[in-house]
Amino acid sequence: MAVITIDGKTLDVPENKNVLECALEAGIYIPHLCHHKDLSPLGSCRMCVVEVEGEDQVTTACTLKARDGLRIHTKTPEVERLRMLALELLLTGHPEDCSTCPKYGNCELQMLIQYIGPKTGRLKMRTKGFRPKEENPLILHDMNRCVLCGRCVRACNELRGVKVLNYQKKEMETYVGTLHDKLLKDADCRFCGACVEVCPTGTIRDKVLNQEVKKEDAVVPCRYACPAHTDIPRYIRHVKNGEYDEAAAVIREKVPFPNALGHICTHTCELECKRKEVNEAMSIRDIKRYAAEHDTGSLWKGKGKQLPDTGKKVCVAGGGPAGLTAAYYLRKQGHAVTIKEALPTPGGMMAYGIPSYRLPREIIADEVKVIEDQGVQIEVNAKVEKPEELLKEYDAVLMAIGGHKGVRLPMEGSGLNGVIINTDFLRAVSLGNETGLGKKVIVLGGGNVAFDCARTAKRLGAEEIHLACLEARDAMTADDEEIEQAQEEGIFVHPAQTFERITGTDHVTGVDFMNVKSFTFDENRRAIIEKEEGSEHHIDADTVIFAVGQRPDITEEAGLELGRGNSIKVNDMEQDKATSVPGIFAAGDAIYGTKSVIMAIESGREAASQIDRYLGGDGDISEILAPVKKPEPYIGQCPGFGYAQRKQPAIDPPEDRGSHFGPFDHGICESDICAEAGRCLQCDLRLQISRPSLWGDFAESKEV
Amino acid sequence: MSALENAVGLSKEQVIEKIKASGLQEYGLCRETLTRRFENALKECREEEKEPGVVAALNNADTSGVLLEILRSEPEKVMEGISIAAYVAGADKKVLHIPEYEAQLFETVKPAAEKYGIEVVTGLVNIRESKGCVLLHLVTAAQLAEVFLDTYEKGIYVSVNGGNLQKAACSTKISDLADMGEAKAIQAGYRYYLPEQGEMTVEEARIDNGVLNILSEKECVVCETEKQLAASRKQSCGKCVFCREGLLQLHHMQKEITEGRGKMEFIDLTKEIGEAMTISTPCTMGQESSKTALWAVELFEEEYKSHIKKKNCPAGVCSSFVNIYINPSACEGCGECADICPKDCIEGKPKYIHMIDDFDCDKCGKCIDACDAGAIIRTTGKVPKLPNRLTKVGKFKKH
Repeated sequence: MAVITIDGKTLDVPENKNVLECALEAGIYIPHLCHHKDLSPLGSCRMCVVEVEGEDQVTTACTLKARDGLRIHTKTPEVERLRMLALELLLTGHPEDCSTCPKYGNCELQMLIQYIGPKTGRLKMRTKGFRPKEENPLILHDMNRCVLCGRCVRACNELRGVKVLNYQKKEMETYVGTLHDKLLKDADCRFCGACVEVCPTGTIRDKVLNQEVKKEDAVVPCRYACPAHTDIPRYIRHVKNGEYDEAAAVIREKVPFPNALGHICTHTCELECKRKEVNEAMSIRDIKRYAAEHDTGSLWKGKGKQLPDTGKKVCVAGGGPAGLTAAYYLRKQGHAVTIKEALPTPGGMMAYGIPSYRLPREIIADEVKVIEDQGVQIEVNAKVEKPEELLKEYDAVLMAIGGHKGVRLPMEGSGLNGVIINTDFLRAVSLGNETGLGKKVIVLGGGNVAFDCARTAKRLGAEEIHLACLEARDAMTADDEEIEQAQEEGIFVHPAQTFERITGTDHVTGVDFMNVKSFTFDENRRAIIEKEEGSEHHIDADTVIFAVGQRPDITEEAGLELGRGNSIKVNDMEQDKATSVPGIFAAGDAIYGTKSVIMAIESGREAASQIDRYLGGDGDISEILAPVKKPEPYIGQCPGFGYAQRKQPAIDPPEDRGSHFGPFDHGICESDICAEAGRCLQCDLRLQISRPSLWGDFAESKEV
Repeated sequence: MSALENAVGLSKEQVIEKIKASGLQEYGLCRETLTRRFENALKECREEEKEPGVVAALNNADTSGVLLEILRSEPEKVMEGISIAAYVAGADKKVLHIPEYEAQLFETVKPAAEKYGIEVVTGLVNIRESKGCVLLHLVTAAQLAEVFLDTYEKGIYVSVNGGNLQKAACSTKISDLADMGEAKAIQAGYRYYLPEQGEMTVEEARIDNGVLNILSEKECVVCETEKQLAASRKQSCGKCVFCREGLLQLHHMQKEITEGRGKMEFIDLTKEIGEAMTISTPCTMGQESSKTALWAVELFEEEYKSHIKKKNCPAGVCSSFVNIYINPSACEGCGECADICPKDCIEGKPKYIHMIDDFDCDKCGKCIDACDAGAIIRTTGKVPKLPNRLTKVGKFKKH
């Protein structure tokens, strides 16, 4: 240890520690610009100059090392004169007008100007005349605002080891850029954003950043986009390192169905993945799947949180993803949980909606078993009709009954023989029951469920399958890959159609359609459809499947207040899932309509937390399963990084997959998985970088 | 036996003893005894936990490259010196820097460098990255080799007025090397002196880059300073505020002065910025390059004031203050001047008095030499009344 004195204040600090850091940590503000806590000291900006007793010349505090007896002064007239001159010089090459800068109010340089108050009007000002570089993905460079503090250069070289940014000189102007001014992608930038993070001015900026959410959410959009906020960059890193148990444990910290999600998640994360700006989004779902399939469970099996029994009893109506998730976490909070499932097996829409060629039933069974092993009781063939009566036996009830009642449009011919409903159809297939399917099928609807129906019909042997929907092709709600794969399998897709009538006298003979010219919504969210005149046409069929939505299979007789679309009314979709009856909660599709498995899981987690609080617990269902370690910030160089293409899963050709219910998508293979995981930009690394110390944070040293 | 062979035949301690006995000093701006330089570097090396290394180069501030002659003529000697230093420091890393403006030297020295396992790079030495390395001036390296050939003699290398590089004994006076007859100023290394200081020895004068120029009354100190600052600006790597922005401001002010837009404040501002620069940068680039301007405003304040207040360049160099005109009573209308004018700004026809269009004229003076009649006059004073339209030779009336 060394005893040093700064402006008369004595500090005990480690020998050789950076004096500027000593001062800042002790609450003594010394202005600084090129210094950054996470980077090596440079001493080029001269803002942190100080006087050392016994030395003639001033020196920079950031390059000064603590030694016993060191006495420094940070505010002598000489120090302040040189500091002012340094800032005055620094500003001659910086735009004078702050108000047009995107960093206004957030800029370290601006704050230094306010603190130091340099002289103005004496020196020659200049505009550097660089063209702002906007042609790179994600990162924007405006070298006119650069004051050459060199933080980005050190961040890129020392902190990350990517070594893309460096000082360059053109004519007489020094600037920061890539060698030969190559595009970042061509220079093998890894788009980690460290340069953006450390830039004190508006020079290196994020091109797209959601300003409306918290910074950590904006910086890691995949994690924020995931309804359950799965820590995606963290598990991708584990997969990259071949640590599949760790990866699966990270996923399991948020969701109890890693493998099922790995097969069928709607992956909103991928839609927000920043990598898509560079070339293609990460294949997050397939990475998750790989981790789940290669997980031995060593980190979580029997190791998660299990609070002692509380003596409270909870009944969950519905064994779908929402109900199972809620039951799992409620059990972990120590409550006795019973699931009452109406159908013969648990799984809900995962087992009775999603066809088995997309989600093999063994996966559901395996993941449900984990929940049962945790101590959750599951009763099957036990439909809950009167939830209120359950309160006699249970302390709380959760209605997670999903949406198992398909919608039959009230149109001409909708009651004919040969008209069937999506949910009934898919459930019958899953149960192995008769479906009443003919040879020529028209599916009405354009969502994922419609495609499930059409492709299931194909696998049942239908000869001609059409799918028609009101939306134009680009507005269809089904995933693109679903639409494309269906077309590959020979299903005819007809977007932008109105369903005029189902024809036939006793049995269906087909459907009359008209082309849609435009389809919009008015301010009351009512559809406005303009049809193309004279476009009426007919498609022959012996079977029509309605796939235009599904609703909870519940009536007012159940004693709960219902809302729009027959949903169970709750106080607030997220914050308060209590229904009109005290003690009864609701979650999942039953409250917000058909969404996705991941949404249902999050809704179930939230419900578990709220019910736990209702039962006297703290509502904290979080758990840590994978060892938490600081990810390696030194990511190094990776030639061709920006051009590395998204690895594709192995998918059976259409002729091999259309006739059976076995899985056809085999995910990403072993030889590709590491490369795919290696494509991740690791946006979360940026959150490790220390925040700058601003004089506003040092209340005492504020000069009035 | 080569110098290196002689050195490695001895133990490290013996080598250090021999260097100490020779009294060898680091050449150039950072004068200190070589043994101390080794000690400091190795201490830094331990503190920073870095691998030791040897880096040889000119001083960063050196924009003249005069001393590169030593590398050019005896590359192996320099390489041997570097290798001996590496032996003492226990270093594997050996680097030789050559300035960007002499990049063609790269090919010349490459074979010798390869022979000794020395990496050759172009550009300035990064002082921060070279922490823990022994930094040697090229000349020091050569002299170190001489120590082990027992041929070392202390001396200063000087190129007088751009002439060949010669080695002068330390006690040589400036006036022994150069004719001080017409001198207005002495430019020695990075500084200026007055002619009466010509009795200084070359060692005292700090001719650290080998440059000794005697400026006559026909040369303008402001203009020379401006050129020197422009060269420094070009050379500066631009990472440090004071070097980058300070040089820019100094250069800007000197340029404004030479172009007739100078202000009196510039003198004080030059001092303020120049002095701050000398203590605010880590390498000689910033520390030394402002000194030219500092010595110039200090010693030649009158010349500066003349430029700024009287709008006059006493040397007649700064073209903004110079006028060129054709004396109407001497012009014979031959047209030689119009033919040679690169700007095509002389109007006239045979047997008519020729006229210069001031607007386009850049005062190159080619016409002055072309005129056999001696009619074209360069002046820093007033221009007499001239014809404003084409007038036949002999017909122009002065009044």
